[in-house]
Amino acid sequence: MREHRLKIGVSGIRGVVGEFLTPSLAASFAQAFGTFVGAGRVVLGRDTRMSGEMLQHAVSCGLLATGCEVVDVGIQPTPTIQIYVGATRARGGISVTASHNPAEYNALKLFNHQGLFFNHYERRELLDIYYESEFRTATNAEVRRITSDHETPMRMHVERVLRHVDVERIRARKFRVALDGVNGAGSVLSCRFLQQELGCALHAISVDPTKPFPREAEPRPDTLGDLRELVLRERANIGFGQDPDGDRLAVCDETGRVLDNDDVLALVVDAVLTAMPGDVVVNLTTSSVIDDIAARHGRRVYRTPVGEANVVEMMQATKAVIGGEGSNGGIIFPSVQYCRDSYTGMAFLLDLMERTGKTVSQLAQERLPKYTRLSGKVAFEHGRLGPVMQALEESFPQAQLDRTDGLKLVFEDGWIHVRASNTEPILRLAVEAREEGRASELRDLVSGLLR
Amino acid sequence: MGLRGVVGQGLEASHVMDFAAAFGTFLEPGPVIIGRDPRSSGVMMREGVVSALLATGHDVMDLGIVSTPVIQHSIQRNNAVGGISIGASHNSAEWNALKFFGARGTYLSTAEASELLDIYHLRKFHFVDYTGLGRLYTNEAALDRYLHDLAAVFDLEALRQYKIVVDCCNGTSSLILRRLAGQYGLNFILINERIEGVSFAHEPSINASTVSLQLAPLMKPLGADAGFLFDIDSDRVAIACEDGTPVSEEMVLPMIADAQLAKGPGKLVITNLSTTALLEEVAAKHGGRVVRVPVGRQAAMDALATYRPEQIAVAGEGTGAIMMPQFRFVYDGIASMLAILSLMHERGAKLSEIVAGYPRYSILKDEVPLVSQRVPMLMMELNGLYGDGLADMRDGLRVSWPERWFHVRVSQTEPVVRVICEQKGEAPCALFEALMDQVRSMA
Repeated sequence: MREHRLKIGVSGIRGVVGEFLTPSLAASFAQAFGTFVGAGRVVLGRDTRMSGEMLQHAVSCGLLATGCEVVDVGIQPTPTIQIYVGATRARGGISVTASHNPAEYNALKLFNHQGLFFNHYERRELLDIYYESEFRTATNAEVRRITSDHETPMRMHVERVLRHVDVERIRARKFRVALDGVNGAGSVLSCRFLQQELGCALHAISVDPTKPFPREAEPRPDTLGDLRELVLRERANIGFGQDPDGDRLAVCDETGRVLDNDDVLALVVDAVLTAMPGDVVVNLTTSSVIDDIAARHGRRVYRTPVGEANVVEMMQATKAVIGGEGSNGGIIFPSVQYCRDSYTGMAFLLDLMERTGKTVSQLAQERLPKYTRLSGKVAFEHGRLGPVMQALEESFPQAQLDRTDGLKLVFEDGWIHVRASNTEPILRLAVEAREEGRASELRDLVSGLLR
Repeated sequence: MGLRGVVGQGLEASHVMDFAAAFGTFLEPGPVIIGRDPRSSGVMMREGVVSALLATGHDVMDLGIVSTPVIQHSIQRNNAVGGISIGASHNSAEWNALKFFGARGTYLSTAEASELLDIYHLRKFHFVDYTGLGRLYTNEAALDRYLHDLAAVFDLEALRQYKIVVDCCNGTSSLILRRLAGQYGLNFILINERIEGVSFAHEPSINASTVSLQLAPLMKPLGADAGFLFDIDSDRVAIACEDGTPVSEEMVLPMIADAQLAKGPGKLVITNLSTTALLEEVAAKHGGRVVRVPVGRQAAMDALATYRPEQIAVAGEGTGAIMMPQFRFVYDGIASMLAILSLMHERGAKLSEIVAGYPRYSILKDEVPLVSQRVPMLMMELNGLYGDGLADMRDGLRVSWPERWFHVRVSQTEPVVRVICEQKGEAPCALFEALMDQVRSMA
């Protein structure tokens, strides 16, 4: 399969460091960013990838060259950076991170003055500036300095999250918590958050930000074997797995089973809707369990194309109180910040366990309707997408169609979602049904058509 | 050889990164030492240099704001494979530049420089994968080790008797001098000592006219024994005497050559074709010899490479940039200052007395806009007109007679033809006027 080792597009710049993602490319992109947001303070941080230091200096060079002041926050989770950007009225922010991508990759995540991803039109404008290479250039008298602030971002983030849970009662319970920090940007903050702030008895692995990633970066059941073992060995009440930039959260229950990300999101949605009235926004690929939970609270669910920025845009438009992307472990709680935040997830789950006195497996068992979810991907040639979509439509004349992102076919007892990946030349396939047999039946039908 | 320009108006971030990436590709594997002068744009340039060097697999030791000679010393001391000095030396604040150094802390030879340029132009940089990237670290001890090296060569204790006024021009010299005062008890009065990024108290030009405007008037009121003016990165120096007279920058090299040759008679003085003929007189006094090469550091470095270090007394230019073998041939204004002060101590004489002890040479300089196409014809014509003198055509045309010479050459940095003319005693006004007329009419 063709690999995308460098991608420059509306979602920014991402690639394999070295031959493909070079410091010059990163600096040019930062120059485009600095030109776009204007001369002012820009927050710059990174995850723990080995290429982070090199790229941070390149980005810093590009920002300074356009007359921006660089506020270096060092190694920080992406949500922490986003919160800090919004709270300090900076012109924007850049996080040097490839999120859950493998260690050889890196990328730039770009934020506006509110600490949000740019909308589609802003991103297009930024890309135009990049391709035109018409950057603003600061003279010696206009070049501003680099300041650094490594402490405030973490403090702000912790304060924002803990405002929404009962800290004293959580502390009193002294939960036994297991953590796999993947030696990522959250390593320091997560220990502090769980141990000092929430009074948990913490059993942490891979929380050394100077070490390489000890496992695949994406927190999934098949990559979290060490966490599951740790939970069982230490008889932990709950286990948390993070990605390198601390926006995604995976959860392991006390029996050592890693929950579906959809179920984690559903538990948090349930907790938030119990505490405050409001609607929910999730992407098209997120489980119907969210609809069931929202219906239980008499609330509406809005669906968007896949992508954090899409979910956030819709959340702002609908003034939703909670949202996320179940498929990839993203929980978005606007009272903290319009971004995926693993810390919000941890806090709400511990709070829920405290209030109900139930274990994680009990909570999932009792509160969440059962669904069978299947996913897959197929290599795909450009130009074949149209016929494939048409064939799908024709095969399922009884389905309700949604064409906002690829094609989603919704049935009484399940759904199929087929879309082209933004980052790889593949088609992603997601199927869900209440009955296990029905789910496999739908999957086999679609797989047949795609071949 | 390096990269120089006005930041934001010619010198862009991409040039900095590409040049540093070319340098990182050019160097053998190993650590690289960098530092910068205090210009605001230096931070931007450092960020680009650091990322490009890390990306080409080099560990980077950043010395922060330091003089260029300290960077060069640190390269030698730490067995680094090279170094980059970020700073525009004697240019005004809006300029900045990169200077590249090889493994011994010396400027690149012509062959090395042209290889570096080829890599830059091809843009085929050796970016390593994520497992091979370099790491950035700092070194606080660099300045102290440099001072230690200076103290090993000069009798600093003996220099405590002097009251020394220094115009730091808001550059890096104050950092070194304050520490020299603190650790070795030297008595400095520093002016314009604050490190500045945007505007310097005056142009950092190292010449007698800046000295006469800025430094010389302070000498008598302060009762100082000697005055020194440094450029921003402290690699060259200009001088004022205790009686308030400025010393021409042309005099720095002859004085240091005199001191060096006194300790090593018969050795060589390496300088360029545009530097004062007083050097030949000084060298002859000690049985030494002057080797003249085309103008520019490159030619000086190539010349140095053709002799053994112990054959050479000193190398330098009429601009006040001097290299001594004790410091492995690094242009070093601080070392030059200490050499002058040591000369005062050894002779037990005032600075004005030492200067007065040399025969007077008068030098005239001017320039004419360049028309490149006419240059060869101009040189041929001049050669014909002044056929009675001894001609040297390695860098434009230099014609010399006993006690008199002129040099007409094309500048490497600006689009001008430079005309320079010197005579022992009175200024060679008639010859200079005639030359200027001829150059103007033909250039």
